[in-house]
This record gives sequence, structure tokens and C-alpha cells, in this order.
Amino acid sequence: MTSLITSGRTGRRLAAAIVAIGLALLLPATAAVAQDSSPSPAAKKVFTIGIQQDPDSLNPFNGFLTSAYEIQGIMYDLLTGWSDEDFSPVPQLADSWEKSTDGLTWTFKIHPGVKWSDGQPLTAKDVAYTFNRTINGENERPKYDAYVKNIKDVVALDDLTAEFHLAAADPIMDHLWVPIIPEHIWKDIDSKEVTSFSNEDDPVGSGPFVLTERKPGEFIRLSANKNYFRGGPKIDELVFKIFEDEDAMVQALRKGEIDAVDSLGGTTFQSLQGAPGVTTVQSKGLGFNEIGINVGAQTVDNKPIGDGHPALKDRAVRQAIAYATDRNALVDRVLRGLGDPGSSIIPPAYADIYYTPGDKEYKFDLAKANSLLDGAGYTRGGDGIRVDPNSGRKLEFRLFGREDSEESKGSVQFVQGWLKEIGIDSKVTIMAEDKLTEVIGAGEFDLFEWGWGVEPDPDFQVSVFTCDQRSYTDSGEVYAGWSDSFYCNQDYDGLYKQQSVQLDRPQRAETIKQMQDMLYADVPYVVTYYQDNLQAYRSDRWTGLKPDASGAIYFGYGTDRYRSIDHPSGSGDSGGISTGVLIGVGAAAAIAVVAGGVALARSRATEGDRE
Amino acid sequence: MATRLHEVTPGVESTPGVTPAPTPPAPVRRRFATGAATVIIRRVLGAIVSLFAVLVFNFFLFRVLPGDPARKLARNRHMSAEQVVELRRSMGLDRPLGDQFFTYLNRLLLHGDLGPAFSKGKMPVAEYIGDRIWPTVLLVGSSTILSIVFGLWIGIKGAWQRGSTFDRLSNATSLTLYSMPIFWLGIVFLMVMAGNQMGLGLFPTGGMHDVTPPEGWFANALDVLHHLFLPCLTLTLAYLAEFSLVMRSSLLDEMGQDYLTTARAKGLRDLNVRRRHAVPNALLPTTTLIFLHLGFIISGALTVEIVYSWPGLGLASLEALEFPDFNLLQGIFLLFAVSTIVFNLVGDLLLGVLDPRVREA
Repeated sequence: MTSLITSGRTGRRLAAAIVAIGLALLLPATAAVAQDSSPSPAAKKVFTIGIQQDPDSLNPFNGFLTSAYEIQGIMYDLLTGWSDEDFSPVPQLADSWEKSTDGLTWTFKIHPGVKWSDGQPLTAKDVAYTFNRTINGENERPKYDAYVKNIKDVVALDDLTAEFHLAAADPIMDHLWVPIIPEHIWKDIDSKEVTSFSNEDDPVGSGPFVLTERKPGEFIRLSANKNYFRGGPKIDELVFKIFEDEDAMVQALRKGEIDAVDSLGGTTFQSLQGAPGVTTVQSKGLGFNEIGINVGAQTVDNKPIGDGHPALKDRAVRQAIAYATDRNALVDRVLRGLGDPGSSIIPPAYADIYYTPGDKEYKFDLAKANSLLDGAGYTRGGDGIRVDPNSGRKLEFRLFGREDSEESKGSVQFVQGWLKEIGIDSKVTIMAEDKLTEVIGAGEFDLFEWGWGVEPDPDFQVSVFTCDQRSYTDSGEVYAGWSDSFYCNQDYDGLYKQQSVQLDRPQRAETIKQMQDMLYADVPYVVTYYQDNLQAYRSDRWTGLKPDASGAIYFGYGTDRYRSIDHPSGSGDSGGISTGVLIGVGAAAAIAVVAGGVALARSRATEGDRE
Repeated sequence: MATRLHEVTPGVESTPGVTPAPTPPAPVRRRFATGAATVIIRRVLGAIVSLFAVLVFNFFLFRVLPGDPARKLARNRHMSAEQVVELRRSMGLDRPLGDQFFTYLNRLLLHGDLGPAFSKGKMPVAEYIGDRIWPTVLLVGSSTILSIVFGLWIGIKGAWQRGSTFDRLSNATSLTLYSMPIFWLGIVFLMVMAGNQMGLGLFPTGGMHDVTPPEGWFANALDVLHHLFLPCLTLTLAYLAEFSLVMRSSLLDEMGQDYLTTARAKGLRDLNVRRRHAVPNALLPTTTLIFLHLGFIISGALTVEIVYSWPGLGLASLEALEFPDFNLLQGIFLLFAVSTIVFNLVGDLLLGVLDPRVREA
């Protein structure tokens, strides 16, 4: 540094260097112009989706984040897909399937002539290999255990027939989320390596797209498998570009740098409505939010844990809270109207298992909530706060909201206000989800706001309320199960077992609704709302986006939808930058830099001559 | 005159946040050192001790974070409680903390292995950091160099022509930039220069490469530069003020010194007085600042990386923290610590070379 500044000659050199740096930074802009202005006639059709989550792994035995599931589902085929009408199973790799009357043998007929992306034929042997490896592999099984837990083995009867042998009937069989992998590739990947295998080096799959490049933290690029057996994609490349900042992502969409965005916030979504060339897509959320209630925390061995308020063990208090929660107001005020008021733990998008309480509904009614509490003996003290007649404690509850969610913070504020109206005092604390998980697992809470994503198969969601999902102790430590209300009801558990073997969907739907009816009456949760899923894409450049049964155009169920995306005739794929503007500004900036450099050099020279 | 003084004074005083004392190393140290070799050995030993302390501290620091990585992976998925237990076991998180610590030390010190990154499909941490370190080095490195060059120039010119229009303008600009949140500055540039609603749409909104990178290394390099421009500009402006303010105030300090009067009395030209006498002395505090700054090259750009989705280590550490991925966090922060310690060490030693007062010790 010293030498740069202390000599007159280097002063001019410095100025020249600055000019050079300036030019070097400006040149690419000009280069971009050069590229833009000479589009080859066979320009690739590239559809780019902005996402905010970098997948953890593209190895099908690994990768747990939503983005990982989505991209793996594009690289590989499942046996069955989901119908765009109602999520019912539709053929994917399997053309048809049938089950024995006891439900213990399932036979899948594989589509003939399917080829892997390296040209090898895909046969029932690959299917058998995938499942047998998953069932028996110590490192392969964990991710898919819920799907294969009842499968004993799979046998390829011939090239196109795979026979599954089960230990117990299981309704999940026609929705197995297990990507089929090629035996000729994976037989060389040792089971020990499987958990850390990246699968990013020319992976061979059968899906509509093949992975071509992944830059960690930047993007994942897939190229079309034009020989896809159900018809090749119309686009040539599909890119998932990762943005950390939502504002930057939306700028990129407005500008046309990317073609679509997923999982928008409500404010951003509304700001995009009416933006030129952009179509916003509001689809039914596949999940719900709730005020969770500590109904009496216990471990699976019925050992009480934590310090939940005893009054919340009383169903009347929980029902009063339900009556005092204005779910319509939450939708209007917290979600800005982008959602539906909640009732039960299955969102309305799953029509056949969706439960409506009818006249049992806890319609917002503060007077009714008050009279319910009065009737149960919770009299108001001098300060207006009710007192629990059994424990003598005031009805003062902790109410936890989540730091990362504006909606959560909003919801708890409203609920706090309503509870005050019915003589319940609540103390709001906002915390990180990780912290919340910890206090819930330990039973150290009264009320909290959180939500769940719900899969088309309701098994997992209804299992959350079974006695087995409460926290458990292992060598002195308390670990959380999935239950966050500590609800435990033997009748409910009975119904859970019943639905888990019901292969007839309508019958099972009845059982699922009965279970929800039970939950609705017992109120371990006050389900607040179903938040819409918000997406947007450049409709001026793209057509053929096919909504799934919830209305989502990507990140929905079934990755088949990426095949139909296409350019409408006549629209180019320009980056949306005017070449003239670019050249003009580039030149102006270059001149400014040069002028600055010259001035700098001159000022040094004159200073030297001064005196 | 009064206004000018008024404007100058805050400039001199307000170099807040500049952690190093703008004075050459305290002479006290001389008492303990008997020669250059001893100084070097002592400093290096000190650095090694700090490193080990960081190693231990990091491990326990991240373990205090709430959060269960296994549940994070499994949430909202068709996964039973037993699977979560299995997942936790496979991450080694079921074992006692002391046990985990021993494994960590053993692996790191004997095998140089930072372990697998659980949030990245169990990719080795070292390999993952290797992927993410270069974008950060490029971004922070280029903006540090630019801000040093421009910052020092502005500081020197401002101090020498104290009270001139240039000085007043640059001082005000530096102070404004210094007090501006980097995040906000980044968003403004993004809207104005990258967005095309209200802006010019000249630069990409994020990332480091085009999603369909051009052919050839030259075109590729240009593509990277094109993406680099805005984040680099943001960081340069943010760093610039620090350098120009420190340089300005230390040069002002020197300008009152008797030796400058002597130099002038000898008949030296103004330029030579400045370059040969004033600036070299005034550069000492700045050198300390520069090396302190170089230490932050690896860790420095978190906010800018977020705004521009720049795929560097800052962003990686945020992703790891959200998880929380203990191994990855430990690896990244170890690297942050190493770079800070090493550059501080180099800065310390170099100061001895630059400043005869230190060397004589």
C-alpha cells in the first residue's frame, strides 16, 4: 500500500488500475447485451423457479426437506401418482395394480418399454430391488419406514410384474412415496456409503427430467428427458434457483430473470397482483394452523411431566377457548383474507376425509364462552380474572407464538385479547420454533400457536393425537414424540388402529371423520385457519401450468405437471433488459470512471507542480 | 470557520466501532520481549492457544442452541417417532455430550476431519465449506481491496485539504455510509440497479452465476463479474467509510507534528512532505485496521450475501444455524476464527516491520 501512494508515477498507475477495474466490472453488462441480441433460433426453453430452500440432498435415501422431495420426485418415478382432481392414486410407473382380498398381496403391473436415462430398460426387477433394499438396508430404511413398515418382501414375477408380500394390510400401498432406482447403478453403491452419497454426478433416473448441474446455494439445473414414457416435457430445462431474500426473489420475477416463485408471503403476493405479465396463483393450503393446548402432559408411561395449568385438563375450559376464538377475524386480519377459517385437522382440500362439525361448531360467541366457564364454577375474582375452583389458581395461561412467522405473532395477539374478554389472563411469549419444540416436548407450556402440513394420506396426521406419540424418557432424558397437546384417549387409539388397516377408502374416510369428531369435542387444538399456498408465474411467457388437486402449479402432489409447461407461440425468452438502456448506461458509467481516473491522475500531477 | 471546525471535529472523533486503538502497539510489550524471534514465537503460541480455546468454545456454544436436528428433518413427513430416534442415533446425538465432544476433538485433531454436515446430505463439512468459501473470498476480497484503495485516497486527500469542499463532502458521505445499515443499502441498490420496476434492470438480482452459464472460461468470468458488481459495490461503500475516516483522522494527527514543520523548513515540496513523511506515519493505525479487516474476509459479508443470495459462507452459516447443523457450524466458525487469528498475527508481525519503534524492541 505504502508504495502505491508514495510515488507520483504509481499514482498514475493507480488511476489506470482503477479505470481498469471499473471497465472490467462494466464489461459483463455489455457482454450480456451481446448474448441477448443474438438469440440462436434453437434457443433453449428454460423454466426457472425461485425457491427459498436449498435441498439437503438429491440422494433418494437421503434428503428430507420439501425441496429435496420435489426434485427427487422429478428425477425418479414412483409406482403411482396423485390425481389432479382429488389426490386419488393414478398410474405412474405402474399402469395398474390389484390387491388380494386380505390385502396381504399387492401386484403392480409396470408400464412396458420404460427406459432409464442411460438407455437401460426399467423392469419389475428394479422395483423389487428398490423395495427390498429399502426394507432390509439399515441406512436405506429410515426415510421410508412409514411406507414399507408392513412390507415383507417384493418379488419380480416377470419383467413387468412386481408382487408385494405384506405382514399386515396397509392403506398406504397405493401411495408409496418410494422413488424407484436403477439396480444396475445402485448395486455398486454400498449400503454404508448410501447416507453420504451425493447422487449429483450424472444420476440415472426414469423421471421427466435428469439432473445436469447443481451449484450448492445457487441453483439446481435439470434437463428434459424427451423420451419420457408418458411424453417428454415441452421445455428443455427446468431450473430451481435459490433466493435467501424474498424481496430479491420477487424483483427477479418482475424483471423476468426467473419465471415463477413459490411459497410467497401474503404481502408480497398481494403486491404482485396486477403486476404486468404476472399471474398469481392462490391454492388451497395442504395444512392447518392451531392454538395447541396442554391437556395434561404425560409421558407414554403416564408419568406427569412439565408444569401445564391444571384448568386446561378441563374440557369446558378448552371449549370456552374455542368459542372465544374468532377464526373469521383471524383469516381477515392475520391472513389478509388469503385462507379459510379452520375447524379440524384435515384441510378442506382433502374433500373425502374433511370433517365439518355442523351444528356442533364453536361459533365465535364470547357470551357462550363466559356462561360455559360460569357453569363450570370458574368464578371471576376482583380483578376480573377467573379462578380454578379445584386448584385455587387463577386462569393465567402462557401463550407462545413463533418468532419466524408474522401470522403466528398476529394470531396470539388476537387470541390474548379474546381470552381477556372471558376472564382468562394470558402472557404472550414469542420464541424460535426450536425453542418451542423443546418446551412443548417437556410439557412446559399452556397454549401455543403452530401448524402442520398434511399429506393426502391422513395416517400420520391422525397419529399425532395417539397416546404413543406423547413424550418418552430414554436413559433419564425426556424426548418429544409428535404429540404437542398430550391428548390421550383409548377410544381414539382404537379408531386409529381401525383406520390403519381399512383398505376401502370411503370406509376409512368415515373412521377418519369419527376421529376428528372426537378431537373436535375434546379440543386438544383450536384449529384456527387453513392458509392458502401462494405462487406466481410469468403468464406472458409461459402456458400449460397444470394445477394439482389443491390448485398448486408446482410443489404440489405429483411432479407430472412440469411436463406440460410451454412457451405460448411467439414470445421470446429475453431477460427483459432493453439493450439500448444497457449500452447507454454502461457507456455513461465507463466515461464517469475514466473521467474520475484521469482527474485523479491529473490532480496528483498538478499537486506535484504546485508551489 | 466555525462551521468548518464543527464539521471536522465529529469526523475525527467519530470513528466508533473501529475496534483497534488507532495508536501503534503499546511499548509495554517490549519489557517481555528480548528479540524479534521471541516476539514471533510468543505471538504464534498465543495464536495457537486462542485457536484451541475457540475449538472448545464452539462445540459447547452451539450445543446450547435449542433445536433438534432430527426432528427438523422429520417434521411434516410421514415419519414415526421411532424413525426420529433412529435419525438422531445416526447423527450421534443420542450419546452423552462429553462423549460427543471427545469424538469431535479426536476426529478433528487426529484426522483433520470436521465430520459430516447433516443438513447437507451428510456431505463432509470440509468439502462443503470448500464449495462455499470461494464466493465469499471473491466478494469480500474484491470489495476490501477497492475500499482500501478508495478509502485511503479519500482520507489522505481530505485530511491534507482539510476544510475544502472535497473534505466536507467526502466526510459527510463517509459518515452517512458508515451509519447506514448494509442490508438496507443492498436492498436499495437491488431495487435501483437490478430491478426494472423503478430501476434500471442492469444487473442480476442474485446468485453468482447465470442459471445457464455461458460457454468458455472468459464468458464465465464475465458472468461472475456481472453478478459480483452490486454486492461488491454495496460492501465497498460500507467498508470505505471506515478506512477513509481512520486514515483522515490519523493523518490529521500527524499534520500537527513538529517533524512536518522541519520537513517543510528543509524546503521539501508539499507533495513530498505528504508522501514521504506524513502518510507513512499515519498509515500505521490503518494497517492494523486493514489486517483486522482481512481477518473478517471469511465471515464478513453475511447481510450482503443474504440480500443478493450470494452463495458464500455467510449464507451457509445462516442455513446451518437454522437447522441447527452442529458439525457445519463448528467447521464454519472454526474457519472464521482461524482467519481472524491468522490475519491478526500477520498484522501484528508486519507492524513490527513497518514501525521501527516496534522493531527496536
